[in-house]
Amino acid sequence: MTRYAMVADLRKCVGCQTCTAACKVSNATFPGVQWRKVLDMEVGEYPDVQRVFVPTGCQHCDEPACVEVCPSTASQKRDDGIVTIDYDMCIGCGYCTLACPYDARSIVREATWAYAEGPTEVEKARFDPRMLGVAQKCTFCVDVIDTGVAQGLTPGVHPDATPACVNSCIAGALAFGDLDDPGSNVAHLLRENRHFRMNEDAGTGPGFYYLWDGEQSEQEEVTP
Amino acid sequence: MSAIREGSSQWVPSYCYNCVAGPDLMTVKVEDGIATQIRPNFEAEGVHPAQGRVCVKAFGLIQKTYNPHRIRTPMRRTNPCKGRDEDPGFVPISWDEALDEIAGRLKAIRARGLRNEQGYPRVAATFGHGGTPQSYMGTLPAFLSAWGPMDFSFGSGQGVKCVHAEHVYGEYWHRAFTVCADTVNTRYIVSFGANTEASGGACAVYRHAQARMRGIKRVQVEPHLSVTAAASAEWVPIKPKTDPAFMFAMIHVLVFEHPRESLDVAFLRDRTASPYLVGPNGYYLREPESRKPLVWDSRTGRAVAHDTPDAVPALEGEVVVPSAVEVGPDDTLIEHRDVPADTAFTVMAKTMEPYTPEWAAGECDLPAETIRRVANEYLENACVGETIEVEGQVLPYRPVAVTLGKTVNNGWGAYHCVWSRTVLATLVGALEVPGGTLGTTIRLNRPHENRLLSVKPGEDGFMAARLNATDREHWENPADPEHWDERPSGRNAHKTLVPIVGNSAWSQALGPTHLAWMFLRKAPENWPKPIYPDLWFVYRTNPAISFWDTGQITEIMSRMPFVVAFAYTRDETNHMADILLPDATDLESMQLIPVGGTKYVEQHWDYQGVALRCPAVAPQGEARDMTWIAGELARRTGLAEDYYQAINRGASVVPLKGEGYDFTLDPAREHDVEEIWDAACRAATAEFSRGKEVRGLDWFREHGFYLVPFKRADWYLYPTMLEKGLRFELPYQERLKRVGKELEARMHEAGYHWWDEQLKDYEAIPTWHDFPGLWIRQLEKSGGRADDYPLWAITTKSMQYTTGNNVAIQLMDEVGSNVRGTGRVIINTRTAERYGIAQGDRVEVRSMTGATVGRAELMQGVRPDTVVIPAQFGQWATPYAKDREYPSLNRLSPLSLDLTDSSGSGADVVRVAVRRLGGAS
Amino acid sequence: MSTGAAGYTPHPRLQSSWDLRAASNFIGGGVGTGLVLTATVVAAFGGLWMPGLLLGLACVAFGLSMVFLELGRPWRAVNVFFHPRTSWMTREGVLSLPLFAAGAGAVAVAWFYGTVAAAPLLALAGLCAAGFLYCQAHILHRARGIPAWSESTLRWVMVATGLTEGVGVFLAITAFAQSAPRALALEVALAVLLAARAGLWLGYARRLRARGAPTRSMRAIDALGARFLWFGHALPAVLLVAGWLVWPFAVELVTAAGLVAAAAGWYAKLMIITRAAASRGFAIPQTPTRGRSASRAGARPGWGGGAS
Repeated sequence: MTRYAMVADLRKCVGCQTCTAACKVSNATFPGVQWRKVLDMEVGEYPDVQRVFVPTGCQHCDEPACVEVCPSTASQKRDDGIVTIDYDMCIGCGYCTLACPYDARSIVREATWAYAEGPTEVEKARFDPRMLGVAQKCTFCVDVIDTGVAQGLTPGVHPDATPACVNSCIAGALAFGDLDDPGSNVAHLLRENRHFRMNEDAGTGPGFYYLWDGEQSEQEEVTP
Repeated sequence: MSAIREGSSQWVPSYCYNCVAGPDLMTVKVEDGIATQIRPNFEAEGVHPAQGRVCVKAFGLIQKTYNPHRIRTPMRRTNPCKGRDEDPGFVPISWDEALDEIAGRLKAIRARGLRNEQGYPRVAATFGHGGTPQSYMGTLPAFLSAWGPMDFSFGSGQGVKCVHAEHVYGEYWHRAFTVCADTVNTRYIVSFGANTEASGGACAVYRHAQARMRGIKRVQVEPHLSVTAAASAEWVPIKPKTDPAFMFAMIHVLVFEHPRESLDVAFLRDRTASPYLVGPNGYYLREPESRKPLVWDSRTGRAVAHDTPDAVPALEGEVVVPSAVEVGPDDTLIEHRDVPADTAFTVMAKTMEPYTPEWAAGECDLPAETIRRVANEYLENACVGETIEVEGQVLPYRPVAVTLGKTVNNGWGAYHCVWSRTVLATLVGALEVPGGTLGTTIRLNRPHENRLLSVKPGEDGFMAARLNATDREHWENPADPEHWDERPSGRNAHKTLVPIVGNSAWSQALGPTHLAWMFLRKAPENWPKPIYPDLWFVYRTNPAISFWDTGQITEIMSRMPFVVAFAYTRDETNHMADILLPDATDLESMQLIPVGGTKYVEQHWDYQGVALRCPAVAPQGEARDMTWIAGELARRTGLAEDYYQAINRGASVVPLKGEGYDFTLDPAREHDVEEIWDAACRAATAEFSRGKEVRGLDWFREHGFYLVPFKRADWYLYPTMLEKGLRFELPYQERLKRVGKELEARMHEAGYHWWDEQLKDYEAIPTWHDFPGLWIRQLEKSGGRADDYPLWAITTKSMQYTTGNNVAIQLMDEVGSNVRGTGRVIINTRTAERYGIAQGDRVEVRSMTGATVGRAELMQGVRPDTVVIPAQFGQWATPYAKDREYPSLNRLSPLSLDLTDSSGSGADVVRVAVRRLGGAS
Repeated sequence: MSTGAAGYTPHPRLQSSWDLRAASNFIGGGVGTGLVLTATVVAAFGGLWMPGLLLGLACVAFGLSMVFLELGRPWRAVNVFFHPRTSWMTREGVLSLPLFAAGAGAVAVAWFYGTVAAAPLLALAGLCAAGFLYCQAHILHRARGIPAWSESTLRWVMVATGLTEGVGVFLAITAFAQSAPRALALEVALAVLLAARAGLWLGYARRLRARGAPTRSMRAIDALGARFLWFGHALPAVLLVAGWLVWPFAVELVTAAGLVAAAAGWYAKLMIITRAAASRGFAIPQTPTRGRSASRAGARPGWGGGAS
């Protein structure tokens, strides 16, 4: 089987929002819509404070809450793990946006543009009316993956089969691949590093893993 | 899916060099003639330090291209009155009209003389951030070169907002215009405010992330928990402007709390001036005949010249020298017999003795044990004595570094900080070796492409340095034209006031650039007030926003008689323009630039070469390529031949003629944009391949860049110093002490007493001054009370905005807002509670100079006595940006001689009061 | 959002997908099904049921039409029926069809043939109404992105308030129909339902706090709770009792009690949908190491209570 998943290494992420911007540019999302975004989180109290950057977006869960609640079956989960939305089927009821424990979905009812003056040339060229009034979210750049796989490329390894956010990350913090392949990059990362998933108690089985430390033995060797 | 047809798309190679952390490579997707996407250039994986990736700012270039507020035609001002509240009344004109008007004025200027009656150039030009506009201005440098003397000293923040002291002292001490750690090898970094993860660019971010995986420890010492502190192992919340105290204490710990052998004694003895003997007047004791500095040969027990073969100089101690001379200011000779002397190292140690961690704790408002622990960790990680092999060469391995950020390496105390961190490097032999503290590039010396080649033996066993003259014969005094060596180049008096900045092409822009502005309004006592330049070019810069006391700068700028602004959109500076010229922007124009080798900020490559910025789309409206504009200006001003000669000589990237190749352009005829860059492509590839390969424009359109290997060993200056038998001019600043005394004499002879505070910086071994107190005193001198301004206000950079010239880009605003504090005033949560301020409340931050208003961002990661206002906002003319109403520190910082240090720099720190204005909605 | 004045934060934020229109569905659906159910029970005991049933169907229809207005793609509304296997929204939609058919059918049959003839259709309508109300309660429950909704005890609050509102409005309209005898049984039912609703509400609020919820949500729930309990339970209870004790104004007092009880339920649902509906926000159990450094326990910004 194939199970695509994302791995974000919190040790590397610097909150620069390059992935946020790359996703927006790649997918031509409306202003205010961020399929991928990086959160800026503080932990602790002065002076004992840490600050953590957390990339997030659709987690392409094992048992997606959005798929369960969707009345029209527009939201579906593929065999390879990617959760998709059929924009022609969706009725825009918004239920999925409320079911998602990761605030990953949104609905844009009216076209909005970067500037009050109206759509720019590129916005006009890339405007897709199908995207209005329906739910939208990170797709793991499914079109790119499908095209790439058809050409024999490996998602997460070859840029032409890899999500834009992963391609763009300047810290190398994002990795993508097939969890079911024990030799994949993501499988390696999860074996070799301590990780967690967010909001696990929601019970949806997210396909987005966060690395926070190496293995115990690696850390023990370190000098002060 | 969208309106764009499949099959009509291509990816065009380009680069992004919007900020000094670049250039980085990228590709642009063009569909049906429209630029739609940006992506890394994956062909550069393995050769580019960040694997061909670009940072967030580059993704905004699509919107930048299609920004509806772009100036689309040349424009002329119709309202002769200039000022913030005057509507310029810009009306569209044709290129012919615009260029003819400009050329007409330029020709008239040439007829009157390139310099005015004061000797200053009549034409001035200001470009923005750190030389990056050069990578977008096409062949304009060739036109400027053809023109002749030009005043580049009207800054847009240089000195105030750049790493100024690091520039001048870094280059002086170790050919380090900027400094970074050898990140790929370092194990331990103490960073005083260096905001690597905000402004280090893709290369630094990538390398530091890798370093974290290797187990690096970086201790970030700064008043607030920046994005860099977030990515560090530890955050130490130091009080603003007390960094020298921390570093002095670190030196103290290394020198007094550890056995001497734990330091790199050999390095200190052989590669620095530590063993040089210092006489009673503070100058080196020298051999009377040769005037060479003396060392104490521990083998023979005698004082000998520093370069005596087989001598083993004593690192420390007090000795008595039978016969020696000191050379004082203006060549005064002081003869000595049986004179007691300390080595420079001993003088330094004695000076650092009182600076214990316990003392520093009081100044820095930090626990002494933290300071001591950091010093100990630094030493523990230094691996003194270890070596590493680099491309077959065995070099010292010293994986520790101290890095500095803005507001630490500029302004008062900056000299002390750059001195300290460089001395800390020398104490463990970590200067310019693998793992340690490295220079990146040079700008005051030549050649820029390879700093190692700029190392020439000079006096006293050090590198040759070209300081501005301070002797009576050659010192430049604008009020005394009789004695000019050459005419003054700029109105900021860098040659007069700042000897260390030299007089290369970059020196003007590095000198005290705010003084050029200040003096236009009010010159200091006895100083002739400069006359405004007749014509001022402005490109990719906005001093009315990016400077101190922007209110005052705007007012001074409004009196510029004739301003030609290359304009992307309307902004606060071109609000004062007479002509606006729309230049084709990043994705619309063509240029070839050098890449690779070593360069700021952390661009140490294993390759070097050139990269092409290929136009992805046709320019919007009537915008034109800068190369075309430059050619037109040259032609219409009658300088075409000189212009093409300058291009042939290499004004744009490489000389077009070299060994075995000649792609020079015929100066007698015109050449279009593609012709010029095709010649540059061929010459560059011929040069880099040593004649083996010649690649033209068409090849570059497909491949984007051309690279050849660059030796890893050339990242380090140490082998060159060793090979040439030279020492680093540290720790004792004997030459600078003397130069300082000479400068003092010259200034007083000329009746200038307003630089006296700055002259105090010229200490051979710096000592602590109450630097934070300087800000309090300046406040009081301006009539304020310290208690009325109880908080420190500082700024911090933002990767989404910094030097991206992109406040007008909605995408940057949107994604930047995810980073806490962007567009807001960051205030400690407890402090906010005391002031009755809740998250999102509107607050006013006020200084003696001005006030700014913004929303409060309550955070734990900031000192309770400090507020932080990120980036530079406060726009009132730039479309989109002006509607954001984001606060800016630049409204609050005074333009003040009192807060200018000896190198001509200032710092973004000011005392403020904060009060709540209203609720979040 | 496009001005970027406040970007995305890890804190819970108020949902912006469902507004007054969606709240109207739960309001109309709640009181509507409550009315239908009450009508079918009253019919079984021979009381005046038709106005109540018709009003109930109208309320349900009103609610559904408001949802229609809120759809991003209203002309695809028929797609709502496609996922009965797991979607409570589909199930609600599916049940609405026999609800209207049975209800309208019951009215038509009764008009021509009398109440007894309409009994089977009435029973079916009652069953569908109960199912519809149950579905509505579960729609909120399965919205796992909103802790204040997914807390399972809210389901019973939703059911209880639907019934309370239905009985309350039924009482009010019955009181106006002068020809109808005073329905003491309904008054007692209202009193019982008020007690149940108050108890369930208290249970819900307590469990929410114990399990942990976004602070924003808790604040809204606490503020709502105070008003809900006093104005929505104590006040109608007092009015009811006064109606029992003060004969001359009994009708007015009982009517007021029913309407106030119903309105309180509507207000509560409006607040729950639009004011208390904060998302989960984001939490990390551990902070990352940053090179040679120690990780520490993470945080759940914007939450209070047991689950942080």
